[in-house]
Amino acid sequence: MDVARDNILNRVRSALRVPAHQPLPPTSAPIFPPVTNPEARFREEFAALKGELIENSEALAGFIKGFAGIATDGSELVGNVIGEANASVRECDLGVTSCDCLVAQTGSVIVSTISAGGRALSVLPPTHLVIARREQIVPDLATAMALLRKHYNKHWPSALSVITGPSRTADIEKILVMGAHGPKRLVLYFAD
Amino acid sequence: MTTPTLEQFKHDAAEKTADLHHRAVIQKAIATYDAAVARGRLRFADWQNARSHAAAIKWETINHLDRYLEQFERNVLANGGHVFWAETAEDARVHVLQLARQHGVEKVVKSKSMTTEEIHLNDALEVAGIHTVETDLGEYICQIRGEPPYHIVTPVMHLTKADIARTFQQKLGAPLTDSAEELTMIARARLRQEFLTADMGITGANFAIADTGMVAITENEGNARLSFSLPRVHVAIVGIEKLIPSFEDLALFWPLLSASGTGQAITAYSSLIGGPRQERETDGPREFHVILLDNGRTRLLADAEQRDALHCIRCGACLNACPIYKNVGGHAYGTTYQGPIGSVITPHLRDAEEWSHLPYASSLCGACTDVCPVRIDLHHHLLHNRRNAVQNKFDDPIQRLLFRIWLATMQSPMAYAVASRLGNLALRLGIAQRLLKPWTATREFPTPPKQSFKDYWRQHGRRA
Repeated sequence: MDVARDNILNRVRSALRVPAHQPLPPTSAPIFPPVTNPEARFREEFAALKGELIENSEALAGFIKGFAGIATDGSELVGNVIGEANASVRECDLGVTSCDCLVAQTGSVIVSTISAGGRALSVLPPTHLVIARREQIVPDLATAMALLRKHYNKHWPSALSVITGPSRTADIEKILVMGAHGPKRLVLYFAD
Repeated sequence: MTTPTLEQFKHDAAEKTADLHHRAVIQKAIATYDAAVARGRLRFADWQNARSHAAAIKWETINHLDRYLEQFERNVLANGGHVFWAETAEDARVHVLQLARQHGVEKVVKSKSMTTEEIHLNDALEVAGIHTVETDLGEYICQIRGEPPYHIVTPVMHLTKADIARTFQQKLGAPLTDSAEELTMIARARLRQEFLTADMGITGANFAIADTGMVAITENEGNARLSFSLPRVHVAIVGIEKLIPSFEDLALFWPLLSASGTGQAITAYSSLIGGPRQERETDGPREFHVILLDNGRTRLLADAEQRDALHCIRCGACLNACPIYKNVGGHAYGTTYQGPIGSVITPHLRDAEEWSHLPYASSLCGACTDVCPVRIDLHHHLLHNRRNAVQNKFDDPIQRLLFRIWLATMQSPMAYAVASRLGNLALRLGIAQRLLKPWTATREFPTPPKQSFKDYWRQHGRRA
């Protein structure tokens, strides 16, 4: 017997015996304007948030050279593009992960403990590189949420994050500063 | 009745209202916010309809809260998490301390949570000898200054770069700088060490998802993600009103909260935590605990007239819109939740008599209601709270007497005629101005003409 639980639920039930005034219902019009060209919209939003897109394999090779310690999620996709990890999550200066999907509406990358090698790899390293495929771009958040539910089908990962740009803060005089606690740089490469 | 809380409010409000530096800092911050929110709302097809959708979803949840709480609990347990029901702030504090002892916790990292402010968790942890670190930049600055947050979303809105640089110099021995970036990097470097060595991470929750048993945490810095990724134990403290029915609802609520909180399309990190580390996963806490907190919320729920105040998603928009907040500042309220929403809920969550003055800290202009993303009828609730205070006789007996006299005067043409003549005379002799000192001290009170409009009309009106 959990007395506190019973007390709270009983108070809730007795409170709800008196009905509350119901608000006017919304209309069925769409909440967000439709996204017509997902890839173009994704690129625009991602760049506006200071996400960096690497456009070709030469540029990727040049980018990778700048990092001594690389940790990866060990996935096939990342392995094919980057190769083996040479550092642990806590010691690396670049974390490389795959993702669940990319959201055009907000320029977001959705990662989970399953798709991106656990919780820390996409937030602890100072730079986060995401390897994705163009087909992973979905038009909006509603589509992304539906996709995640279908994909995990009740076997949810223990944590998911919608990542939108590098870590940032505006706590001091509303001045935007990148890299508050999470990665200072968020970089994306399309493997296809 | 006058109470020390009321006297403190009057004192602090008067002081801040006359502080022109404070006013300039707040106006600048809120102007930046207003511009960002105006852009943020344009991302919706129809902002008003988005508000209606959100209000309908919150209404459905709050008015069937027992069902959604039970569903949430079932799913958290099925995911391998633990649920603790806390009736009071003390119950929640005691449980956190017990978990800390049980797991040999020496250091806690916390991400920003007004609910933990509400239950004064940090003090309890520190008294128990557990080193507790706020990791949100704004909250960290508050913590080292020993100040409560000034605003539910922007904890140090009242401070300038120079103020923060001086704090870092005095408290951390950091070199003075006038760069917001350098100040942020000082905090980043110090807090990084805390994250790597903490035993327990404590977070709040912006939403609790009934149909998946997850808590949703919204942030920009990454400190919440580090807090629920690195330590051995994760505790999320969640007010029972934070429930929403389903995972898919976040496609509306994440952008809605961001648009109203900061004007962003969605914050940098919107995360969901549904349990401890699983066998197939590589890292994460071994234990995940959710504390469901009542602490007066069921009292507010029982007031059907104001039940929609529990729809609040703590975006801070009503604070930023409030002309009183902009003048008296966040600290004057003396409450965890400031501004219009705080003045609505605090008399319900805490002592109704002690906080009965807060609903009067409003011009009833309705700006709060206009901006609320979940359509809480805030300014009418402020009026309802005033009525409740009068019905419970929490108001000033002298004021009550004066209103009686006013009412009797307004109902009798003869008394009205006599009173207006006396009032006119008192104003022209300057007696009324002296009697109305609290009002006239900061405002010009024009001297009325000898003749009232009514008398003028009687003499000249019909001829014209």
